[in-house]
Amino acid sequence: MFKIEFGEDGNIVCAGRLDAAQTRVAEAFLDSVSEPAVMDCSGLEYISSAGLGALLKTQKRLMAVGGGLKLVKVNNHVGDIFKYAGFDRIFEIEAAEG
Amino acid sequence: MEKTFPRSIDSLDSIFAFIEQFFTDEAIDPGLRPVINLTVEELFVNMVNYNEEGDSEIRLRMERCDGELVASLTDFDVDRFDPTERPDVDITKPLADRIPGGLGIHLVRKMVDSLDYDYSNRQSTITIRKALGGEAGSGSSGSDYVQD
Repeated sequence: MFKIEFGEDGNIVCAGRLDAAQTRVAEAFLDSVSEPAVMDCSGLEYISSAGLGALLKTQKRLMAVGGGLKLVKVNNHVGDIFKYAGFDRIFEIEAAEG
Repeated sequence: MEKTFPRSIDSLDSIFAFIEQFFTDEAIDPGLRPVINLTVEELFVNMVNYNEEGDSEIRLRMERCDGELVASLTDFDVDRFDPTERPDVDITKPLADRIPGGLGIHLVRKMVDSLDYDYSNRQSTITIRKALGGEAGSGSSGSDYVQD
């Protein structure tokens, strides 16, 4: 199960498992994001390359208009995936506390 | 332990459930499960995407052998497609030069101890091995399990 929506503070909040079967859900939402945004990943348990591709596509589009996604509250497992994908070079990433 | 799955990304939930059952049956540290989920997903999706003409189900076989978890995926009656021959992605490229795609095998290479491909009798099999690293609950979680 994967969910992505805007939180009350205006941040993007995503939760669950972003696998290849859920990527279309993420892409449909992210395609509607037109400004730089913070993505709260505290509930994101898992991401595979398909989900990474959706984030990368969004980052390229948003950076072209002056700002990108900031990924915050990233857990260790997802943080490792981001690192091995080289996302620490192209996204601003903050790990979850503790 | 083995099972076949329809060649569709909609099989992923069933695959993850199968992997969870294997971990439970074999009392393997659940901290290792995200790594196995990810590697199996990437390899399965590759088979689905790169042999679109195939109509047979894909077999996932998992076993515990000599301190290793061994997982193999077999696609039947397909042309040869060896994902291990794909060049690695250059993750140091600037954003403008990064192209979505190709990260799957890159991540698999980072996370498992070996990745082997075999093709014979029109059967394509890819096998990964991952050391279990001791007793269940020995700490293969968080950042500890990723291979540099």
